[in-house]
Amino acid sequence: MTTEAARSRFAEIVLPYLDDAYTLARWMTGSTADAEDVVQDACVRALRALETTAVERPRAWVLTIVRNTALTWMAKNRPANVTSTEGEEGPLELPELTDPAPSPEQNVIAQADHGAVRAAIAALPQAFREAIVMREINGLSYKEIADASGIPIGTVMSRLARARMMLMNALGRPA
Amino acid sequence: MIARDLGPSDDLLMLQALLDGELDASGVIDMERRIAADPRLSAEYARLCALRGAIQGGAMREAAPDSLRARIAAATGVTPASQSNVVKFPEAAAARPPVAAVRRWRAAAGAMAAAVVALLGVNIYLVSDWGSDDIERAVVAAHTRGLISGQPIDVVSTDRHTVKPWLAGKVPLATTVVDLASDGYALSGGRVDVIADEPVPTLVYRHREHFISLTELPRGSARVSAPTRETVNGHSVVSWTDNVRRYVAVSDMSPPELDDFVANFRRAAASEREDSPPKAK
Repeated sequence: MTTEAARSRFAEIVLPYLDDAYTLARWMTGSTADAEDVVQDACVRALRALETTAVERPRAWVLTIVRNTALTWMAKNRPANVTSTEGEEGPLELPELTDPAPSPEQNVIAQADHGAVRAAIAALPQAFREAIVMREINGLSYKEIADASGIPIGTVMSRLARARMMLMNALGRPA
Repeated sequence: MIARDLGPSDDLLMLQALLDGELDASGVIDMERRIAADPRLSAEYARLCALRGAIQGGAMREAAPDSLRARIAAATGVTPASQSNVVKFPEAAAARPPVAAVRRWRAAAGAMAAAVVALLGVNIYLVSDWGSDDIERAVVAAHTRGLISGQPIDVVSTDRHTVKPWLAGKVPLATTVVDLASDGYALSGGRVDVIADEPVPTLVYRHREHFISLTELPRGSARVSAPTRETVNGHSVVSWTDNVRRYVAVSDMSPPELDDFVANFRRAAASEREDSPPKAK
Protein backbone atom coordinates (compact mmCIF):
# COMPACT_ATOMS: atom_id res chain seq x y z
CA MET A 1 0.00 0.00 0.00
CA THR A 2 1.42 3.32 -1.01
CA THR A 3 0.37 6.51 0.65
CA GLU A 4 -0.07 9.82 -1.11
CA ALA A 5 2.67 11.30 1.09
CA ALA A 6 5.19 8.72 -0.11
CA ARG A 7 4.21 9.37 -3.73
CA SER A 8 4.69 13.06 -3.33
CA ARG A 9 8.06 12.56 -1.68
CA PHE A 10 8.98 10.16 -4.48
CA ALA A 11 8.23 12.91 -7.01
CA GLU A 12 10.40 15.37 -5.07
CA ILE A 13 13.26 13.10 -4.08
CA VAL A 14 13.64 10.42 -6.74
CA LEU A 15 12.30 11.78 -10.03
CA PRO A 16 14.82 14.63 -10.34
CA TYR A 17 17.59 12.01 -10.36
CA LEU A 18 16.21 9.62 -12.93
CA ASP A 19 18.92 10.53 -15.43
CA ASP A 20 21.61 9.95 -12.81
CA ALA A 21 19.97 6.67 -11.84
CA TYR A 22 19.69 5.49 -15.42
CA THR A 23 23.26 6.52 -16.21
CA LEU A 24 24.67 4.56 -13.26
CA ALA A 25 22.53 1.52 -14.07
CA ARG A 26 23.52 1.73 -17.71
CA TRP A 27 27.23 1.72 -16.86
CA MET A 28 26.88 -1.00 -14.25
CA THR A 29 24.87 -3.39 -16.39
CA GLY A 30 26.34 -2.48 -19.76
CA SER A 31 22.93 -2.62 -21.40
CA THR A 32 20.10 -0.14 -21.92
CA ALA A 33 17.40 -2.79 -21.50
CA ASP A 34 18.92 -4.11 -18.28
CA ALA A 35 19.35 -0.54 -17.01
CA GLU A 36 15.62 0.08 -17.46
CA ASP A 37 14.76 -3.05 -15.49
CA VAL A 38 17.16 -2.06 -12.72
CA VAL A 39 15.92 1.53 -12.45
CA GLN A 40 12.30 0.40 -12.40
CA ASP A 41 13.07 -2.05 -9.58
CA ALA A 42 15.02 0.63 -7.75
CA CYS A 43 12.11 3.07 -8.03
CA VAL A 44 9.70 0.54 -6.55
CA ARG A 45 12.13 -0.03 -3.67
CA ALA A 46 12.61 3.70 -3.18
CA LEU A 47 8.88 4.36 -3.08
CA ARG A 48 8.43 1.67 -0.46
CA ALA A 49 11.31 3.06 1.61
CA LEU A 50 9.89 6.58 1.45
CA GLU A 51 6.94 5.51 3.60
CA THR A 52 9.26 5.56 6.57
CA THR A 53 12.59 7.09 5.55
CA ALA A 54 13.62 10.73 5.69
CA VAL A 55 16.20 11.53 3.04
CA GLU A 56 18.89 14.14 3.51
CA ARG A 57 20.94 13.72 0.37
CA PRO A 58 18.55 12.64 -2.33
CA ARG A 59 20.99 12.03 -5.15
CA ALA A 60 23.35 9.88 -3.07
CA TRP A 61 20.34 8.07 -1.58
CA VAL A 62 18.81 7.30 -4.96
CA LEU A 63 22.13 6.13 -6.39
CA THR A 64 22.78 3.88 -3.40
CA ILE A 65 19.49 2.11 -4.08
CA VAL A 66 20.24 1.88 -7.80
CA ARG A 67 23.68 0.44 -7.12
CA ASN A 68 22.38 -2.20 -4.70
CA THR A 69 19.48 -3.05 -6.98
CA ALA A 70 21.83 -3.41 -9.94
CA LEU A 71 24.09 -5.83 -8.06
CA THR A 72 21.15 -7.93 -6.88
CA TRP A 73 19.56 -7.85 -10.31
CA MET A 74 22.77 -8.92 -12.06
CA ALA A 75 23.45 -11.72 -9.58
CA LYS A 76 19.99 -13.07 -10.38
CA ASN A 77 19.76 -12.43 -14.12
CA ARG A 78 23.33 -12.11 -15.40
CA PRO A 79 25.41 -14.25 -13.05
CA ALA A 80 28.13 -14.69 -15.66
CA ASN A 81 28.79 -10.95 -15.67
CA VAL A 82 29.21 -10.55 -11.94
CA THR A 83 32.90 -10.46 -11.27
CA SER A 84 34.49 -10.60 -7.89
CA THR A 85 36.98 -7.93 -6.98
CA GLU A 86 39.06 -10.48 -5.10
CA GLY A 87 42.63 -10.19 -6.19
CA GLU A 88 42.03 -6.82 -7.78
CA GLU A 89 41.98 -4.94 -4.51
CA GLY A 90 45.44 -5.91 -3.24
CA PRO A 91 48.00 -3.27 -2.35
CA LEU A 92 47.94 -0.40 -4.75
CA GLU A 93 50.94 -0.67 -7.00
CA LEU A 94 51.07 2.48 -8.97
CA PRO A 95 53.96 3.12 -11.26
CA GLU A 96 56.43 5.65 -10.00
CA LEU A 97 56.14 9.08 -11.42
CA THR A 98 59.23 8.65 -13.49
CA ASP A 99 59.04 10.83 -16.55
CA PRO A 100 59.61 14.48 -15.75
CA ALA A 101 59.84 15.43 -19.42
CA PRO A 102 56.69 16.99 -20.83
CA SER A 103 54.97 14.05 -22.40
CA PRO A 104 52.65 14.09 -25.37
CA GLU A 105 50.60 11.54 -23.48
CA GLN A 106 48.36 14.07 -21.80
CA ASN A 107 47.46 15.51 -25.20
CA VAL A 108 46.63 12.05 -26.44
CA ILE A 109 44.39 11.49 -23.41
CA ALA A 110 42.73 14.88 -23.74
CA GLN A 111 41.98 14.22 -27.38
CA ALA A 112 40.67 10.69 -26.95
CA ASP A 113 37.39 10.42 -28.82
CA HIS A 114 34.15 9.70 -27.00
CA GLY A 115 33.95 6.15 -28.26
CA ALA A 116 37.41 5.34 -26.93
CA VAL A 117 36.59 6.84 -23.53
CA ARG A 118 33.34 4.89 -23.31
CA ALA A 119 35.08 1.67 -24.32
CA ALA A 120 37.82 2.20 -21.76
CA ILE A 121 35.29 2.79 -18.96
CA ALA A 122 33.21 -0.18 -20.06
CA ALA A 123 36.31 -2.39 -19.95
CA LEU A 124 37.05 -1.59 -16.29
CA PRO A 125 36.31 -4.30 -13.71
CA GLN A 126 32.94 -3.75 -12.01
CA ALA A 127 34.12 -2.22 -8.72
CA PHE A 128 36.40 0.29 -10.44
CA ARG A 129 33.86 1.17 -13.12
CA GLU A 130 31.24 1.78 -10.46
CA ALA A 131 33.55 4.07 -8.46
CA ILE A 132 34.66 6.13 -11.44
CA VAL A 133 31.10 6.51 -12.78
CA MET A 134 29.78 7.64 -9.39
CA ARG A 135 32.63 10.14 -9.07
CA GLU A 136 33.08 11.54 -12.58
CA ILE A 137 29.64 11.15 -14.08
CA ASN A 138 27.26 11.25 -11.10
CA GLY A 139 29.48 13.70 -9.19
CA LEU A 140 29.32 12.00 -5.78
CA SER A 141 31.89 12.83 -3.08
CA TYR A 142 34.27 10.22 -1.67
CA LYS A 143 32.08 9.96 1.41
CA GLU A 144 28.92 9.44 -0.62
CA ILE A 145 30.59 6.76 -2.75
CA ALA A 146 31.87 5.06 0.40
CA ASP A 147 28.37 5.06 1.92
CA ALA A 148 26.73 3.89 -1.30
CA SER A 149 29.19 1.03 -1.77
CA GLY A 150 29.62 0.08 1.87
CA ILE A 151 33.40 0.49 1.74
CA PRO A 152 35.85 2.75 3.61
CA ILE A 153 36.87 6.07 2.05
CA GLY A 154 40.44 4.77 1.70
CA THR A 155 39.15 1.98 -0.52
CA VAL A 156 37.18 4.49 -2.59
CA MET A 157 40.37 6.49 -3.09
CA SER A 158 42.44 3.49 -4.11
CA ARG A 159 39.72 2.20 -6.45
CA LEU A 160 39.46 5.59 -8.10
CA ALA A 161 43.23 5.84 -8.42
CA ARG A 162 43.44 2.40 -9.93
CA ALA A 163 40.54 3.08 -12.29
CA ARG A 164 42.20 6.28 -13.43
CA MET A 165 45.53 4.54 -13.97
CA MET A 166 43.81 1.93 -16.12
CA LEU A 167 41.95 4.58 -18.09
CA MET A 168 45.08 6.66 -18.64
CA ASN A 169 46.95 3.58 -19.78
CA ALA A 170 44.15 2.61 -22.13
CA LEU A 171 43.75 6.10 -23.60
CA GLY A 172 47.31 7.36 -23.34
CA ARG A 173 48.80 5.25 -26.06
CA PRO A 174 48.85 6.92 -29.44
CA ALA A 175 46.75 4.86 -31.81
CA MET B 1 64.92 9.08 -7.31
CA ILE B 2 64.34 12.10 -5.15
CA ALA B 3 60.74 11.35 -4.36
CA ARG B 4 61.12 7.68 -3.57
CA ASP B 5 60.72 8.21 0.15
CA LEU B 6 57.41 9.96 -0.37
CA GLY B 7 55.83 6.89 -1.90
CA PRO B 8 54.32 7.23 -5.33
CA SER B 9 50.92 5.86 -4.46
CA ASP B 10 50.42 8.37 -1.65
CA ASP B 11 51.36 11.12 -4.07
CA LEU B 12 48.84 9.86 -6.53
CA LEU B 13 46.09 9.65 -3.95
CA MET B 14 46.82 13.22 -2.90
CA LEU B 15 46.89 14.49 -6.48
CA GLN B 16 43.60 12.77 -7.03
CA ALA B 17 42.07 14.24 -3.86
CA LEU B 18 43.10 17.69 -5.08
CA LEU B 19 41.50 17.00 -8.44
CA ASP B 20 38.31 15.78 -6.75
CA GLY B 21 38.03 18.81 -4.46
CA GLU B 22 38.41 16.63 -1.38
CA LEU B 23 41.27 18.52 0.27
CA ASP B 24 40.83 21.28 2.80
CA ALA B 25 42.45 24.67 2.35
CA SER B 26 45.80 23.81 3.89
CA GLY B 27 45.90 20.56 1.89
CA VAL B 28 45.21 22.44 -1.34
CA ILE B 29 47.92 24.98 -0.65
CA ASP B 30 50.38 22.24 0.28
CA MET B 31 49.68 20.16 -2.82
CA GLU B 32 49.75 23.15 -5.15
CA ARG B 33 53.15 24.08 -3.76
CA ARG B 34 54.44 20.56 -4.22
CA ILE B 35 53.11 20.35 -7.76
CA ALA B 36 54.80 23.63 -8.61
CA ALA B 37 58.11 22.33 -7.24
CA ASP B 38 58.04 18.84 -8.73
CA PRO B 39 57.80 18.35 -12.49
CA ARG B 40 56.83 14.70 -12.04
CA LEU B 41 53.86 15.64 -9.89
CA SER B 42 52.85 18.38 -12.27
CA ALA B 43 53.05 15.98 -15.24
CA GLU B 44 50.91 13.45 -13.41
CA TYR B 45 48.40 16.09 -12.38
CA ALA B 46 48.18 17.26 -15.98
CA ARG B 47 47.44 13.68 -17.03
CA LEU B 48 44.70 13.40 -14.40
CA CYS B 49 43.16 16.68 -15.57
CA ALA B 50 43.34 15.50 -19.17
CA LEU B 51 41.55 12.29 -18.23
CA ARG B 52 38.84 14.22 -16.42
CA GLY B 53 38.40 16.45 -19.46
CA ALA B 54 38.11 13.41 -21.71
CA ILE B 55 35.48 11.78 -19.49
CA GLN B 56 33.42 14.85 -18.74
CA GLY B 57 33.60 16.16 -22.27
CA GLY B 58 32.40 12.82 -23.58
CA ALA B 59 28.69 13.15 -22.83
CA MET B 60 28.76 10.09 -20.61
CA ARG B 61 25.46 10.97 -18.96
CA GLU B 62 22.41 9.37 -20.38
CA ALA B 63 18.88 10.68 -20.25
CA ALA B 64 16.34 8.23 -18.88
CA PRO B 65 14.33 7.21 -21.97
CA ASP B 66 10.59 7.93 -22.15
CA SER B 67 9.91 4.18 -22.19
CA LEU B 68 11.49 3.97 -18.72
CA ARG B 69 9.52 6.98 -17.48
CA ALA B 70 6.32 5.31 -18.61
CA ARG B 71 7.25 2.08 -16.83
CA ILE B 72 8.01 3.96 -13.61
CA ALA B 73 4.70 5.80 -13.81
CA ALA B 74 2.92 2.46 -14.18
CA ALA B 75 4.86 0.81 -11.35
CA THR B 76 4.65 3.64 -8.82
CA GLY B 77 1.57 5.65 -9.71
CA VAL B 78 3.75 8.76 -9.92
CA THR B 79 4.05 10.41 -13.31
CA PRO B 80 7.51 11.69 -14.16
CA ALA B 81 7.77 14.83 -16.23
CA SER B 82 8.47 13.70 -19.77
CA GLN B 83 11.06 16.40 -20.21
CA SER B 84 14.37 14.82 -19.41
CA ASN B 85 17.10 17.04 -18.10
CA VAL B 86 20.00 17.15 -15.72
CA VAL B 87 19.37 18.33 -12.17
CA LYS B 88 22.55 18.71 -10.24
CA PHE B 89 21.20 19.53 -6.81
CA PRO B 90 17.88 19.17 -5.06
CA GLU B 91 16.92 22.84 -4.78
CA ALA B 92 13.25 22.05 -5.25
CA ALA B 93 13.20 19.16 -2.81
CA ALA B 94 15.02 21.18 -0.22
CA ALA B 95 12.53 24.02 -0.35
CA ARG B 96 9.86 22.38 1.77
CA PRO B 97 11.34 19.38 3.56
CA PRO B 98 8.94 17.26 5.59
CA VAL B 99 8.95 17.99 9.31
CA ALA B 100 10.77 14.77 10.19
CA ALA B 101 13.46 15.59 7.67
CA VAL B 102 13.89 19.05 9.17
CA ARG B 103 14.32 17.54 12.62
CA ARG B 104 16.88 15.09 11.33
CA TRP B 105 18.51 17.82 9.33
CA ARG B 106 18.90 19.90 12.44
CA ALA B 107 20.35 16.97 14.37
CA ALA B 108 22.75 16.26 11.55
CA ALA B 109 23.62 19.94 11.33
CA GLY B 110 24.53 20.00 15.01
CA ALA B 111 26.79 17.00 14.60
CA MET B 112 28.30 18.50 11.50
CA ALA B 113 28.91 21.79 13.21
CA ALA B 114 31.01 19.97 15.79
CA ALA B 115 32.86 18.07 13.06
CA VAL B 116 33.45 21.22 11.06
CA VAL B 117 34.86 23.00 14.08
CA ALA B 118 37.13 20.07 14.81
CA LEU B 119 38.33 19.80 11.22
CA LEU B 120 38.49 23.34 10.00
CA GLY B 121 38.72 25.39 13.13
CA VAL B 122 35.87 27.69 12.13
CA ASN B 123 34.27 29.81 14.78
CA ILE B 124 30.73 29.38 15.93
CA TYR B 125 28.67 32.52 16.32
CA LEU B 126 26.12 31.92 19.01
CA VAL B 127 23.24 34.30 19.38
CA SER B 128 20.37 33.26 21.55
CA ASP B 129 17.53 34.55 19.41
CA TRP B 130 18.19 34.47 15.71
CA GLY B 131 16.47 37.45 14.21
CA SER B 132 17.29 38.78 10.78
CA ASP B 133 19.73 41.35 12.16
CA ASP B 134 21.50 38.71 14.22
CA ILE B 135 22.05 36.58 11.14
CA GLU B 136 23.45 39.53 9.22
CA ARG B 137 25.77 40.40 12.10
CA ALA B 138 26.97 36.79 12.29
CA VAL B 139 27.62 36.71 8.55
CA VAL B 140 29.58 39.96 8.79
CA ALA B 141 31.53 38.51 11.75
CA ALA B 142 32.39 35.39 9.73
CA HIS B 143 33.49 37.54 6.79
CA THR B 144 35.63 39.73 9.05
CA ARG B 145 37.16 36.78 10.84
CA GLY B 146 38.16 35.31 7.48
CA LEU B 147 39.92 38.51 6.49
CA ILE B 148 41.64 38.98 9.84
CA SER B 149 42.90 35.42 10.01
CA GLY B 150 44.16 35.68 6.44
CA GLN B 151 42.12 32.61 5.60
CA PRO B 152 38.82 33.71 4.12
CA ILE B 153 38.62 30.56 1.99
CA ASP B 154 38.58 26.87 2.94
CA VAL B 155 38.50 25.50 -0.58
CA VAL B 156 40.61 27.61 -2.89
CA SER B 157 39.45 27.29 -6.45
CA THR B 158 38.20 29.43 -9.28
CA ASP B 159 36.35 26.45 -10.72
CA ARG B 160 32.73 26.20 -9.60
CA HIS B 161 32.80 22.50 -10.44
CA THR B 162 35.35 22.13 -7.65
CA VAL B 163 33.74 24.50 -5.15
CA LYS B 164 30.21 23.13 -5.43
CA PRO B 165 31.03 19.46 -4.74
CA TRP B 166 33.38 20.46 -1.94
CA LEU B 167 30.60 22.39 -0.22
CA ALA B 168 28.13 19.60 -0.94
CA GLY B 169 30.33 17.28 1.06
CA LYS B 170 30.41 19.65 4.03
CA VAL B 171 26.97 21.19 4.45
CA PRO B 172 23.49 19.76 4.09
CA LEU B 173 22.40 22.59 1.79
CA ALA B 174 22.79 22.52 -1.97
CA THR B 175 24.77 25.63 -2.89
CA THR B 176 24.17 27.82 -5.89
CA VAL B 177 27.61 28.46 -7.37
CA VAL B 178 27.85 30.63 -10.46
CA ASP B 179 30.81 31.92 -12.42
CA LEU B 180 30.82 35.72 -12.55
CA ALA B 181 34.36 36.23 -13.85
CA SER B 182 33.07 37.86 -17.03
CA ASP B 183 31.20 40.39 -14.88
CA GLY B 184 34.38 41.27 -13.00
CA TYR B 185 33.71 39.12 -9.93
CA ALA B 186 36.10 36.20 -9.90
CA LEU B 187 35.14 33.17 -7.87
CA SER B 188 37.94 32.56 -5.37
CA GLY B 189 36.55 29.63 -3.45
CA GLY B 190 34.24 28.74 -0.62
CA ARG B 191 34.13 28.12 3.08
CA VAL B 192 31.81 26.76 5.74
CA ASP B 193 30.44 29.22 8.28
CA VAL B 194 28.35 28.26 11.26
CA ILE B 195 25.41 30.63 11.56
CA ALA B 196 22.50 30.11 13.95
CA ASP B 197 24.11 26.84 15.07
CA GLU B 198 24.11 25.39 11.58
CA PRO B 199 26.92 24.97 9.06
CA VAL B 200 26.14 26.95 5.93
CA PRO B 201 28.00 27.46 2.65
CA THR B 202 29.72 30.77 1.91
CA LEU B 203 31.11 31.60 -1.50
CA VAL B 204 34.01 34.00 -1.75
CA TYR B 205 34.31 36.20 -4.81
CA ARG B 206 36.97 38.79 -5.53
CA HIS B 207 36.59 42.15 -7.18
CA ARG B 208 39.91 43.96 -7.61
CA GLU B 209 41.37 43.91 -4.08
CA HIS B 210 38.02 43.36 -2.36
CA PHE B 211 36.62 40.11 -1.08
CA ILE B 212 32.89 39.44 -1.21
CA SER B 213 31.39 36.78 1.06
CA LEU B 214 28.07 35.40 -0.09
CA THR B 215 26.41 33.19 2.51
CA GLU B 216 23.47 30.98 1.63
CA LEU B 217 21.07 30.00 4.43
CA PRO B 218 17.96 27.88 4.69
CA ARG B 219 14.96 30.06 3.95
CA GLY B 220 13.21 29.10 7.18
CA SER B 221 10.11 31.14 7.70
CA ALA B 222 11.46 34.25 5.97
CA ARG B 223 9.28 35.82 3.30
CA VAL B 224 10.50 36.17 -0.26
CA SER B 225 12.09 39.60 -0.45
CA ALA B 226 14.04 41.75 -2.89
CA PRO B 227 17.63 42.71 -2.03
CA THR B 228 17.90 45.35 0.67
CA ARG B 229 21.13 47.02 1.65
CA GLU B 230 22.35 48.24 4.99
CA THR B 231 25.63 48.92 6.72
CA VAL B 232 26.89 46.75 9.57
CA ASN B 233 30.11 47.75 11.30
CA GLY B 234 31.24 49.61 8.22
CA HIS B 235 30.54 46.75 5.82
CA SER B 236 27.95 46.86 3.10
CA VAL B 237 25.47 44.06 3.55
CA VAL B 238 22.84 43.08 1.01
CA SER B 239 20.33 40.39 1.88
CA TRP B 240 17.44 38.86 0.03
CA THR B 241 15.26 35.77 0.10
CA ASP B 242 14.03 33.77 -2.86
CA ASN B 243 11.59 30.89 -2.73
CA VAL B 244 14.34 28.46 -1.76
CA ARG B 245 17.05 30.27 0.17
CA ARG B 246 18.04 33.35 2.02
CA TYR B 247 21.25 35.08 0.91
CA VAL B 248 23.50 37.57 2.65
CA ALA B 249 26.34 39.27 0.74
CA VAL B 250 29.02 41.19 2.63
CA SER B 251 31.91 43.27 1.36
CA ASP B 252 33.89 46.41 1.96
CA MET B 253 33.30 47.41 -1.67
CA SER B 254 31.31 50.54 -2.31
CA PRO B 255 27.57 49.95 -1.88
CA PRO B 256 26.72 50.43 -5.59
CA GLU B 257 29.38 47.86 -6.51
CA LEU B 258 27.91 45.36 -4.08
CA ASP B 259 24.45 46.02 -5.55
CA ASP B 260 25.89 45.32 -8.97
CA PHE B 261 27.46 42.08 -7.74
CA VAL B 262 24.15 40.97 -6.24
CA ALA B 263 22.29 41.79 -9.45
CA ASN B 264 24.78 39.74 -11.47
CA PHE B 265 24.63 36.85 -9.04
CA ARG B 266 20.84 36.76 -9.07
CA ARG B 267 20.71 36.88 -12.84
CA ALA B 268 23.27 34.06 -13.20
CA ALA B 269 21.62 31.96 -10.48
CA ALA B 270 18.21 32.36 -12.11
CA SER B 271 19.52 31.33 -15.50
CA GLU B 272 21.21 28.30 -13.97
CA ARG B 273 17.92 27.24 -12.43
CA GLU B 274 16.18 27.56 -15.76
CA ASP B 275 18.39 24.71 -16.89
CA SER B 276 16.61 22.51 -14.36
CA PRO B 277 13.43 20.73 -15.30
CA PRO B 278 10.15 21.98 -13.89
CA LYS B 279 9.36 20.46 -10.53
CA ALA B 280 7.37 17.25 -10.87
CA LYS B 281 3.83 17.55 -9.64
